[in-house]
Amino acid sequence: MPAIEVSHLTKEYRLGALQGLKHTLINTGSRLIGKTVPERPLFKALDDVSLSIEQGEVVGIIGHNGAGKSTLLKMLARISTPTSGSVKINGRIAPLIEVGAGFVPDFTGRENVYLNGAILGMSKQEIDRKLDEIVDFAELAEFIDTPVKRYSSGMQVKLAFAVATSVESEILIVDEVLAVGDLAFQRKSFGRMTELIRDNNRAVLIVSHNIRQIERICTRAILLDHGRLARDGSVNEVCDEFFSGSNDKIAYDAAKSSRARVRASGEAEFLSIAAVDESGNAVSEVATGQPLRVRVKFRLDVPLVKPELIIGTHTTDFFYLNASSTAIFDARPDFSPGTHEVECIFQNNPLASGIYCFRFAIYDSDRRAIFIGDNLGIFTVKSGRDEAREEGLRMLDIPATWSIQGHAFDRARAA
Amino acid sequence: MLTIAKNLYDYRELIGVLAWKSITLRYKQAYLGIAWAILKPVTLMLIFTLVKSFVGIESGNIPYPILVFAALMPWTFFQESASDGVNSVVGNAALIKKIYFPREIFPITSVLTKLVELGINFVILAGLMAWYGMLPSIYILWVPLIIAYTVLAALTIAFVGAAINVYFRDVGQAMPVLLSLLMYASPVIYPLQLVKDKLLVQQAASEWSDALYTLYTLNPLAGIIDAFQSVVLRGAPPDLTAMIPGAIMIAILLPLSYLYFKRAESYFADVI
Repeated sequence: MPAIEVSHLTKEYRLGALQGLKHTLINTGSRLIGKTVPERPLFKALDDVSLSIEQGEVVGIIGHNGAGKSTLLKMLARISTPTSGSVKINGRIAPLIEVGAGFVPDFTGRENVYLNGAILGMSKQEIDRKLDEIVDFAELAEFIDTPVKRYSSGMQVKLAFAVATSVESEILIVDEVLAVGDLAFQRKSFGRMTELIRDNNRAVLIVSHNIRQIERICTRAILLDHGRLARDGSVNEVCDEFFSGSNDKIAYDAAKSSRARVRASGEAEFLSIAAVDESGNAVSEVATGQPLRVRVKFRLDVPLVKPELIIGTHTTDFFYLNASSTAIFDARPDFSPGTHEVECIFQNNPLASGIYCFRFAIYDSDRRAIFIGDNLGIFTVKSGRDEAREEGLRMLDIPATWSIQGHAFDRARAA
Repeated sequence: MLTIAKNLYDYRELIGVLAWKSITLRYKQAYLGIAWAILKPVTLMLIFTLVKSFVGIESGNIPYPILVFAALMPWTFFQESASDGVNSVVGNAALIKKIYFPREIFPITSVLTKLVELGINFVILAGLMAWYGMLPSIYILWVPLIIAYTVLAALTIAFVGAAINVYFRDVGQAMPVLLSLLMYASPVIYPLQLVKDKLLVQQAASEWSDALYTLYTLNPLAGIIDAFQSVVLRGAPPDLTAMIPGAIMIAILLPLSYLYFKRAESYFADVI
């Protein structure tokens, strides 16, 4: 029997503000006399989600903000009711949805342990039994009889975490609580989480934006996208997909908000810039280690004698990465007025997967700036490898080999 | 009714802890502490006694101060538990959005919390009775039943009020006003006997008199307050004819109120 069984779960919310008594009465009145009332539009926070989780599984739920992760957890914890579909839970459920919900500032630490414990469904004997352990874990032995309002925020969080994780249950729900307190306590709480997950044969659901943590703890992951279940599978697969999806989103957002930074003398007009493939078709994605071909179109209003052209790349926050200038070619040609197209090829593009931007500049032979533009276009680099496992490690992806305990490891071949 | 009893049993520890929380919380950091619980009925008793010396209200052979105090005890209990119950769900929004347990626990806890304050008032009542040299009779055994009935009356208002209050906060605001109006329609300042004499004996409203009296006793508090005074002070059994209309109304409205609450409950977390 699965611990959690969700079938065709849909949750809709009405958009807009809740109406006051006056509007409700007027609307009810007009409905009674048969008039139609403007309905507030519906928003689907969850759309036909079905999944089943067995006892002993550790499942990570990932997705962008607003993908429906927290809504799903609320349905599972019975806090909110589905619009349609059903949720079946077998076993006691311990929500860690937010540690410290219901702490009373005027109560002492000890009183709050009893109060919060009872709210989380522990009996008095159970709390009596675990009190020492909780206080020990929270490192608050000296302060346990001090009102919580005198605690530092870190102390409150530590106590709340200690209480919440001492609940015995068959199903554990965790919503972004892994990183609490200072670094030492974070490590400790992470250890406690791992222990909770591994030692007991329970079903665990974790929502986190920290993909690396999900990859470390979970065996299975579920990717939600705009309320729909986009992917359900092994944690590495799903996290990789989410990671590339994230890149697309950053690119999309950057492209939407980006404005080229341009300084121009007026003698030239920039037309377009793009990465192209071998046959000259524009592409938005290039692979690490492959050549990066960049094609620029521009128009000149005046003739230029041996102008210098620069094509380069930078990160979305304007950190210049690489560039190449034609200044080194003594035999570079003159340009007549009109539209021109040039192409530059960077061999073995070393950029790690991510989103990057193009820059382009024209100088005349006296190094007078005719056109300087940053952020003229965007392109995506994909590594094709298991990038999530090395997320944030580097900006340049250069093939490496390792020699460990006498064995050689070749990254290129591991992929 | 069965599920509510089962929930009450299953969550008895939580209800206990929450009640303990609201009681200690109210009196923590207050110099007078739990003494505040008796302040309201005692002050009102003094004021009404003062007023009575100008207006003249017939209180029979019972001294007016103790008669009015015995009326104020069930009244204050009803009034405060009903209005606290109405605000209990909205007041616990933080919990409702985070954790599930049957939501009726909130109104029930507010009502039970007020029982403690009622208990403290019994000490004052006993003191007053000793002062006036009154001895309780065997009929005092009715008291638990009367209080249980008052609890049900308060819950009738608390359930439906708490649920509507989630959607329209107007209810929480209107409650104190409505309840203080209800006080004048209940035999708090004057004894029920006066109403009875006017309507049933003197037929003051001619052919409407009996109907008016039934209407008056539809207010469960009319029967409750009179019964409380009778069993504690007069040493007489409760006047059941004054209680029946109100009891019938509660018997009909309480299940409806509870059902409405349970239906609205599933959307509390979305709306609150």
